[in-house]
Amino acid sequence: MEKKDIIQSVKDSLFTGIIALALFGPIVGLRTASKGEGLFITPQWGLVFILVGLCILGRFLINLNSARKTEFTFFSKFTSKLSSITEEKAKHLAITAILFAVVFPFLPFTDRYFMDVAIMILTYIMLGWGLNIVVGLAGLLDLGYVAFYAVGAYSYALIATTFGWSFWICLPLAGIFAAFFGILLGFPVLRLRGDYLAIVTLGFGEIIRIVLINWYEVTNGPDGITGIPRPSFFGLPFKRSPDEGEASFHTFFNLEYSTMHRIIFLYYLILVLALITNYFTLKIRKLPVGRAWEALREDEIACKSLGVNPTNTKLTAFAIGAMFGGFAGSFFATRQAFISPESFTFIESAIIVAIVVLGGMGSQTGVVLASIFLIGITEMFRDLEQFRMIAFGGAMVLIMVFKPKGILANRKPTIFMHGDKK
Amino acid sequence: MEYFIQQLVNGITLGSIYGLIAIGYTMVYGIIGMINFAHGDIFMIGAFVALISFIIFGLTGVALPVILLLVLLIAMLFTACYGWTVEKLAYKPLRGSFRLAPLISALGMSIVLQNYVQVAQGARVKPMQPLISGGLEFFKNSEFVVTVSYLQIFIVVLTVILMGIFTYLITKTDLGRAQRACEQDRTMTALLGINVDRTISITFIIGSSLASVAGMMFVLYYGVIDFYIGFLAGIKAFTAAVLGGIGSLPGAMLGGLLIGLIETFWGGYVSLEYKDVAAFSVLIVVLIFFPTGFLGKPDIEKV
Amino acid sequence: MSNLLSVENLTMQFGGLTAIDNLSFDAKNNEITSIIGPNGAGKTTVFNCLTGFYKPTNGQMFLHKDEGKISLRKYTDFKIAHVAKVARTFQNIRLFPAMSVLENLLVAQHNELMVASGYSLFGLLNLKSYRDKEQLAVDKARYWLDIIGLTNRADDNAGDLPYGDQRKLEIVRAMCIEPKLLCLDEPAAGLNPKESAELNKLLKFIKTEKKTGILLIEHDMSVVMGISDHVVVLNYGKKIFEGTADQTKNSKEVIEAYLGVDE
Repeated sequence: MEKKDIIQSVKDSLFTGIIALALFGPIVGLRTASKGEGLFITPQWGLVFILVGLCILGRFLINLNSARKTEFTFFSKFTSKLSSITEEKAKHLAITAILFAVVFPFLPFTDRYFMDVAIMILTYIMLGWGLNIVVGLAGLLDLGYVAFYAVGAYSYALIATTFGWSFWICLPLAGIFAAFFGILLGFPVLRLRGDYLAIVTLGFGEIIRIVLINWYEVTNGPDGITGIPRPSFFGLPFKRSPDEGEASFHTFFNLEYSTMHRIIFLYYLILVLALITNYFTLKIRKLPVGRAWEALREDEIACKSLGVNPTNTKLTAFAIGAMFGGFAGSFFATRQAFISPESFTFIESAIIVAIVVLGGMGSQTGVVLASIFLIGITEMFRDLEQFRMIAFGGAMVLIMVFKPKGILANRKPTIFMHGDKK
Repeated sequence: MEYFIQQLVNGITLGSIYGLIAIGYTMVYGIIGMINFAHGDIFMIGAFVALISFIIFGLTGVALPVILLLVLLIAMLFTACYGWTVEKLAYKPLRGSFRLAPLISALGMSIVLQNYVQVAQGARVKPMQPLISGGLEFFKNSEFVVTVSYLQIFIVVLTVILMGIFTYLITKTDLGRAQRACEQDRTMTALLGINVDRTISITFIIGSSLASVAGMMFVLYYGVIDFYIGFLAGIKAFTAAVLGGIGSLPGAMLGGLLIGLIETFWGGYVSLEYKDVAAFSVLIVVLIFFPTGFLGKPDIEKV
Repeated sequence: MSNLLSVENLTMQFGGLTAIDNLSFDAKNNEITSIIGPNGAGKTTVFNCLTGFYKPTNGQMFLHKDEGKISLRKYTDFKIAHVAKVARTFQNIRLFPAMSVLENLLVAQHNELMVASGYSLFGLLNLKSYRDKEQLAVDKARYWLDIIGLTNRADDNAGDLPYGDQRKLEIVRAMCIEPKLLCLDEPAAGLNPKESAELNKLLKFIKTEKKTGILLIEHDMSVVMGISDHVVVLNYGKKIFEGTADQTKNSKEVIEAYLGVDE
């Protein structure tokens, strides 16, 4: 590297430093805090200098790196390695993962906390798979997916608490309800261009939430719905002391009572629901409607010229995605036994979109990896909630900049003429 | 009647704030064809910078007009840095990527900015003592006294002044010409020797500065802000931009006024709880029935 | 030869601009009808009206089918291809680049396959009736791929094909919907002479073997003169000449339109 280049990159880094100072100076450096009557400023200049220093250093290193004409080799090597793994051994990997998921509750280190996290990850995997139909396959950016999750949860909760029907009746009803909402919203808006659609779905998600908060008579407003019936094991409740003349899970199987029974049951419930979603998606992708979704994502005008009805095709994607969102919502309601509008904010939609995007749009395995990564690993830093969200958002930007098709972006054709060679 | 006039005054004030934010959406959309999802959060940052500056200058005991002017300039300067940086980091590398990429990147940026401010400034709401108080009262003899506060006058007058400067900038200067050229055809503009990257950067800087003014107005008007205000205000301003016809600058201002009025009247006459629903419903209805808005150009799909 | 398409007094205005002005012409069954004219003459606009992308300001377009004539004005959007059986290709190729060649051809058979799959129900149940229909669709795709010599690339992404092959693929994809009328928008653009010759062969095959009427917009005169049965010349949205290829070559009006007139 020549001297000229070094001077240039030092200058450039210093410029970065000035910008960083302007960015962090007021917002980080001058923290506002309430004391008594009004607001006061607590300076945190130390932190600002560290941040600015990091920016200067980072910029300088990037400059050095690009002067040597090497790209971000680490990142691309890592991701291409990931891609090649899944291409060759996708099937083995999937089977191993499912087996692991099945035995997971009985592994020696698995405790209550791990089970809770696992259930949460599986819920997000299911939501991610559901949304993958809409975003990944049909290419419709839906920023209000949480609305269908909420519709599922609330319809489950309302049906179950009002009529006292069992989980297995309420679940499909909640799914149908959510799908119905999907069609209701989708019908007018699916004609819109991609980015408009994103904003409208976002608006729809917020409308649902505001209605849930304010429609006291039905939803009980911000207080939410309590006492949602827990699921039973084919009629056997998970209770310590069952009612007179009624068997419960532990008495029927002659087991010691344990709260873990219900947790394990819930775990398998969501595992099965998620696997059904996956199986369904993999199947339908290979059917004409699935191919039409992907064709629409590629080129809507070409689709029209071939006689594919774009509105109906998108509508099926929307409704099916909504239905799975509704199923996941019912599960959420029965697991928590309590739901309130607070659980269905925009940020939930953003997280689900992030999972789909980071995983690689349309990639089922990608959704799993992204869920484990985003929910699981960051769950360990629970106390650093906001930092977690910064990392979340940052990852979305980085992925779009460096790998816009997502980490796992291999698409395998849905049908072969000469047989599947790989 | 008096009640109606009061709502009208409040609606116009609110509409000015939305209009200023909407200009940022519409300019960016016009020039690079993307919805800058993080723009609402830029507005929020503007509000925070203004709040911090108000606290600092509040302690010095300088005359009020001087404080207002200083805070205005400081907020514009620092917020513009954010707008500039966001474009450089999250949007510029994505030009020519697949069509949803910039939107997803913007969504990520929005999440980053929101949580960054939450970490740096705390999640609590930030109250501020009113700086400009008092106002003019009308219809003193009737049951309902209509109040037009000095603050409302300040907000509307400042908006009109900024709009004047801004219109001059776009229609009469080289910069404005370059910008309009970029909107038409970016490649050709570049071939004519105009620095397209610079023009886009300046667009973001102008848009962010105007949003920061809106942020300052928001602090003064509501007297309380938190890290989350950008989300709702952003959506409403976007609705305003679409309503007026996205890409059209007078449209953004007109749309802002309409959204401000719709929201205030809905809140005043129909139901306060559902006033945000009104904005979203307007958005959906407008996009479905008048996708080009009031002053937008029809876009014919090229096949 | 009987009429396949009659365009009557077609007018299309965009605001104050008249892109097509009172245009009438016919296209016959089993013939290749070319529409030529200088840039901006309104050729693609005619296509967009015919294929339902624009709604004409005035005029009628009729397609004569065995069961009687139908007005194309009644069909918009996807129904032109689905119901009226008018297929088209695009000036800038519009394949589904990330999908395989075979998948591209199957999407073109979407409507039949949807019915066969019981709107996905039979497909999900993996019924034999559906699998058989799917096999038929694959066979049809193979038939067309054999003709254009791309059978061995059936499982590759359409976007990875060379430009000339993409053009041919787009044409046979349109043929997969079994159209009565095939509208081709500059199919020879960007092809080298060898590829142009292959294109001529393909179009002649479609005309004679498939009994499909072809409407062609083309600038490449070697293609137009080589295969057209009938030529319609447009200038500024108006028809200035109509006749056989040879008549067109020698027409004074046409030469003036292309080369200009000495004042």
